[in-house]
Amino acid sequence: MIVIKNLSKQFGTTRILNNVSTKFESGKVYGIVGKNGAGKTTLFRCIAGLESYEGEIHSDFQPLKNHLGLLFTDPFFFSKITGEEYIRLLCNARHKSIEGISSRNIFDLPLNQYASVYSTGMKKKLALTALLLQGNEYFILDEPYNGVDIESNMIISEIIHKLKSLNKTVIISSHIFSTLSEVCDEILLLDKGEFVKSVQRNDFSALELEMKDVTVGNKLDKLELS
Amino acid sequence: MKAYFEIQYKLINRTFREANIAPLAAIALLIIVFLGFSMLLFYKTSFAQYIYVGTGLAFISKLSDTRRTEFLALCFGDALVRKIRILENSVLAVPFLAFLLYENCFLAGITLLIFAFAFALINVRKQSNFTLPTPFYRKPFEFTIGFRNTFYLIFIAYGLAVIAVSVNNLSLGVFAMIFIFAITITYYTKPEDEFFVWSYNTTARRFLYQKIKTATVFSTLLVFPIFALLGIFFFRDSGTLLLFFLAGWAFLPCVIVCKYAAFPDELSVTQGVLLALCISFPPLLLFVTRYYFKESENRLNRILT
Repeated sequence: MIVIKNLSKQFGTTRILNNVSTKFESGKVYGIVGKNGAGKTTLFRCIAGLESYEGEIHSDFQPLKNHLGLLFTDPFFFSKITGEEYIRLLCNARHKSIEGISSRNIFDLPLNQYASVYSTGMKKKLALTALLLQGNEYFILDEPYNGVDIESNMIISEIIHKLKSLNKTVIISSHIFSTLSEVCDEILLLDKGEFVKSVQRNDFSALELEMKDVTVGNKLDKLELS
Repeated sequence: MKAYFEIQYKLINRTFREANIAPLAAIALLIIVFLGFSMLLFYKTSFAQYIYVGTGLAFISKLSDTRRTEFLALCFGDALVRKIRILENSVLAVPFLAFLLYENCFLAGITLLIFAFAFALINVRKQSNFTLPTPFYRKPFEFTIGFRNTFYLIFIAYGLAVIAVSVNNLSLGVFAMIFIFAITITYYTKPEDEFFVWSYNTTARRFLYQKIKTATVFSTLLVFPIFALLGIFFFRDSGTLLLFFLAGWAFLPCVIVCKYAAFPDELSVTQGVLLALCISFPPLLLFVTRYYFKESENRLNRILT
């Protein structure tokens, strides 16, 4: 479980997160939605301890960062390191045994090639594989479906279901509502650095309609498409 | 083209200001450091002109990144990009060229100029499916990547060591040994993405010890063949060889702690100056390493705990 109390963060004079409080329970999958710049990535970085912040973040596994698998929207890769070496690096960092990497290559990635030449989707799958092999308790997946092919999309959804059944805590951000509604137990709406809404599975379709109405509305009319 | 160079001028000024140095003072400092380094190099070794051309080309090659060139071509078109690339390579080559001419190394100067122009015109695609095997693959990442980027330089150093033995020139052999240490030091000069430090489940002190241990063991593996070769053929100078070997060993941890003391930023100008001073007076390494070890521990604690 991760408990966040009165979390605030500002860069210079701009407040990114404003008194955010919430709880992420074990064995549940949480979706975070919000516009670009709503504060999702900053929230994730604060939870990971990559940003200083005001407020409190507690977890039942301490320190949180050593049990957290963090998948960035655009994971960084060194220029001349192979997929296998990338996995080895991240597993070494967490003192995890790394035998039989090739047999655990569920996305069929070319692990002997430099990761920097992988496509966007392949990079994401490699980063996710490494996080899974680290054996984390918590997972923050920022846009895990971004750039990933349809088969891998299905595998990622199954992985998330599996993590849930193993009592792990999973937090996902995505701009694709259908994928969130498929895997999440609860969706939190972040707007201007605050959680403005928390919706349980039963009300996902109502939330989607509401979001469409608020965000799209009659904006397309301005284009005067004919 | 004017707009491009105006942006470069702004970028350079911004870099200096972000380091809290007035641009004019920074340029003056750079000139002093450059001249100091050049004079020291030409004073210390008879191979200075080769190192000098190599250093100059290493700087110039940084501008030849394929993605950068492609981006510039998209913005300005092929013809204009060629002009820009020739001009910026020339600007970088000029200080090196001037000093080479001052030292009467005309052939080296012409070589530098030819390669600088060639780098501007040739666009070599770096990406390929070939993966260079490395003996360091089990402990990514510094030596894994570093070896792949500089393997040819390491083999050149081995070649120089063999030549040193065949022409009975100890200085050349020592230079080959120092050259490998210098190469391995470059593996630790750029900060990695914060994520690759954050991922470690360890204390700052253990993290640093681990980095230093890996660097020491792996650099020894690369340097030892030359050390052993020279030790056999220049047995009477074993003391000198050992001294240079120990100096290389001492330098590596110093660079590592300097890097993490500045992390996630790049090495500061002050650190650069201190490291340069350590080259002239190696006993300083003891104090610099000790000081920056504490600093890097503080920095890393913020990320690792």
